[in-house]
Amino acid sequence: MSDKAEATGTQEAVEVHHDEHEEHHAQSFWRTYVFSTDHKVIGMQYGFCGLAFLFFGFCLIATMRWSMAYEGEAVPFVGPLLEALLGNGVAPGGVMSAELYNVFGAMHGTIMVFMGIVPAAFAAFGNYVVPLQIGAVDMAFPRVNMASFWAFFFGCVIMMVSFFIPGGAAQAGWTSYSPLASVIPTDGQTYWLIGMVMLITSSLLGAVNFLATIINMRAPGMTWLRLPFFVWAQFITAFLLLLAFPPLEAAGILQLMDRVLETSFFLPTGLVVGGQDVDVSGGGSPLLWQHLFWFLAHPEVYVLILPGMGIVAEIIANNTRKPIWGYKFLVGSIVVLGFLAFIVWAHHMYMTGMGTVISAFFQTTTLIISIPSVIILTCLFISLWGGSIRFNTPMLFALAFLPMFGIGGLTGLPLGFNFSDVALHDSYYVIAHFHYVVAPGTIFAIFAGVYYWYPKMTGRKMSEYWGKVHFWSSLIFMNLIFMPMFAQGMAGMSRRMSDGGATYSLANPDNADVTVGALSDTIMGLNVSISAAAWAMLVAQLPFIVNLFWSVKHGEKVESDNPWQATTLEWETPTPPPHGNFNKEIKVYRDPYEYSVPGADNDFSPQAQPAK
Amino acid sequence: MEIPYTVKPRPDTGLYNGKLGIWLFLASEVMLFGALFSSYVLLRVGAEPGTWSMGLMNITVGAGNTMVLIASSMFVVLAWAELKQGNLAGYKKWKWATIACAVLFLVVKWSYEWPEKFKHYDIWLNDTKVLHGKFEKGYHATASREGKSAEEHVNGFYTKRFFKEESKLSNDNFDKAWTNGTLALQGHINAYEEAQINVEVTGWKADAGVSEADAEKVLAKLNAAGSATALLKDGGTVKEKVGYDEAKRAEYALGQAGFEVALRVEDYEKVPAHPWVWRTKRVNEDIGGKPRVRSIFLGLDHSDDGEGHHEEIEIETRHISRLSAFEPKHSTFFGIYYTITGLHAAHVFGGIIVMLYNMLPIGLALWHKDREQFTNRIETFGLFWHFVDLVWIFLFPILYIL
Repeated sequence: MSDKAEATGTQEAVEVHHDEHEEHHAQSFWRTYVFSTDHKVIGMQYGFCGLAFLFFGFCLIATMRWSMAYEGEAVPFVGPLLEALLGNGVAPGGVMSAELYNVFGAMHGTIMVFMGIVPAAFAAFGNYVVPLQIGAVDMAFPRVNMASFWAFFFGCVIMMVSFFIPGGAAQAGWTSYSPLASVIPTDGQTYWLIGMVMLITSSLLGAVNFLATIINMRAPGMTWLRLPFFVWAQFITAFLLLLAFPPLEAAGILQLMDRVLETSFFLPTGLVVGGQDVDVSGGGSPLLWQHLFWFLAHPEVYVLILPGMGIVAEIIANNTRKPIWGYKFLVGSIVVLGFLAFIVWAHHMYMTGMGTVISAFFQTTTLIISIPSVIILTCLFISLWGGSIRFNTPMLFALAFLPMFGIGGLTGLPLGFNFSDVALHDSYYVIAHFHYVVAPGTIFAIFAGVYYWYPKMTGRKMSEYWGKVHFWSSLIFMNLIFMPMFAQGMAGMSRRMSDGGATYSLANPDNADVTVGALSDTIMGLNVSISAAAWAMLVAQLPFIVNLFWSVKHGEKVESDNPWQATTLEWETPTPPPHGNFNKEIKVYRDPYEYSVPGADNDFSPQAQPAK
Repeated sequence: MEIPYTVKPRPDTGLYNGKLGIWLFLASEVMLFGALFSSYVLLRVGAEPGTWSMGLMNITVGAGNTMVLIASSMFVVLAWAELKQGNLAGYKKWKWATIACAVLFLVVKWSYEWPEKFKHYDIWLNDTKVLHGKFEKGYHATASREGKSAEEHVNGFYTKRFFKEESKLSNDNFDKAWTNGTLALQGHINAYEEAQINVEVTGWKADAGVSEADAEKVLAKLNAAGSATALLKDGGTVKEKVGYDEAKRAEYALGQAGFEVALRVEDYEKVPAHPWVWRTKRVNEDIGGKPRVRSIFLGLDHSDDGEGHHEEIEIETRHISRLSAFEPKHSTFFGIYYTITGLHAAHVFGGIIVMLYNMLPIGLALWHKDREQFTNRIETFGLFWHFVDLVWIFLFPILYIL
């Protein structure tokens, strides 16, 4: 099934291909690589930005981990840089101030969620892979697609600029709770809101485009139940973005009004800040912000994880050489999941005093939503049974996703019950829980996807050896970082403390002997080991970064357009796919994962291959 | 490379790409405005009695604007229908009508509805007794502070009057109306009494790193009232009876030159207030323990002698607990009013841009290339325009009437 054999199949197809090739080359460098409307170029732009921001967000937390482990000491290597760039008010002598810790904390969350994972998992893979997998020539609205990327880009620029303004970037956490966010005296909060409005606009344009593409651009024969699971995941994700993001945009506009025009949508009557009455009309509701925020931010969790699940499903099917077990269950579950994602948001708000009736409702829906999640995970696990598994790098990451996401999901149950959440709320337990979902969950899926689709993008494979080094070291350090946090959280350590809880521990009024902290030395000592693991994790990403760039020119060349011997349509294109993608008529005859079909010539029967 | 279904609908979905896209976009718009409407409901339900400032809108103007938008929604369909019949001239006629309606809608907002509110002030007092006997002609109670029905509003408007004669009945009625929230002090700020400030220096620090010659230069630049040598040695008045801004600038410059500066309020001067320039912030500032603004002269909205003559009263700022124009920060009601109508106006404005594009040669080029695609484009725009219209049809009752 090589490119040549296919291309010479019909003379006409070759000519079409050549014409487009020339047209492609006739465009200037800027239109081809920067202001491109080609979904693949836009996908790679998103991917590059997303991975870069993931790394940058990780660097922020790696710096914060120093403050937690060795509070009050100058940060090695980056301390002088912080002082030079941000001024010695926030980093005197290279020591991280509590304000800077808050800045980094807020921006770590924002960058990882909105500028890292959403662009990398949803926008990058979605843009690159979805049109290929459904047999489309491009997205339905290529220019809207470009606008979406540039809205994202300018949103990121605004976020980055805010680091350097007087007062620094946002400090009120990625949740930006009012009244804190409304009265915090840095314009960084305002920049954050404007940046968010840009990022949301980008996501909305992207979501409209993805949905229109999947609904209207499927190749002949590509019925809904022949869509690869990855496309389904992207489809549901796009719906979540389309319908959940606008309320946050509304909330962002309202908070912007609070900050700029001194309204009081989220400021209650009689608000006192720093011992002084705030001169506003009052009458607002801090809870309103939380409702609007979490109405987005809970579906956002699924926006983060569903594309990851989709990627993992593709890779597991391909590397077990057998169909995904329970494809229809997967599709049904993900549709139900998408619906339920809209009615669980207030489980983030048990501690706000919104009332037991509301808590009971959201506790119930929260536990119900675990059912489709478990079905999806179970289907993927069962898919392994009886497969002849190929343990290549993408498969290793995909396999690791399963138990890691499982840990993240199961540890969420105590947080879903409001009686146990009372004890665990805002502790390190919560941090460990959601990081297990998104870090070894989604980020591993992103790595898996990069290793898996890299040969399609470049015509070369990434180094297997360094891929495995990257995988094993990441897996080990990931767990060394997050597993101890469960213990810290259950011991009572709160999040968002720049000294890692030292002051809190000693300030405990129940503790008569102030030389002994409320948190034991073992628990406090974990701060150091976690930090060390985080820095090791940072080093462990170097093989990946080098591998990513080095393999473009020096990786092992793939001999066919379908090096993994996969069934889905993206492997029917030339490598790398030209503008317009396919050089032949695409028609779909089969279900997405027809591996090892009895009686077939090969152990894989591509979707575009007619039945015998 | 040709993207399919840009013109003809896909058989199994029955939609061409543009129509599908606009419906999806409108779904997200429903969530956007839905969130704002929900916020409106939550804020209104949670508002303390007497703090939801409804009933001040001009319903006639709002209703007129509603009709204008509904008409435009009809014109946009007629424009599309003309295109369907291949009549470009008819399209242009109805499209201009649509644009005219949209522009009229925005003009009413920009030139009348919003500016009027920015020029009128609402005043909250620490104690109503300071107003006893202040009115020359009479003052109506209004229901504006409380979400009362229109009928009660009218009753309050015409039945209760408070006169200058300081009778017990009049004063009691006044206090009662104030307490139960049916009375509000609203009007133009005609003038205010602003401090006339003396800028004085009490000493000069030789060790502040500024030479005597440079300090004298600063004094000369400020046109100091006394001689520079005497001011340096003994201190004294540098500037007499200047306004606040000038005094603050002098204070800064002198402080930089090593002087110890004191600002003293010498006198107050009545300054006519420009309705656009006046801002409430000045009321909260004070100079050496004295208010920057001693009193304001308020042209009352709801006072008249039956012949439409408004009355002006003077209120000392120390009696004022809060003062705000009907701007976004006036109250959560006005906050959400400006937010939603502003966002809606932005949609109308965006619509005008798109319509103009489709009227210019650059937009019409598509008509000459592919008539059906251009007609589709007008249809999808029409869907958007109906949505914008629909949003207003929800906005009008919740902001003006209910």
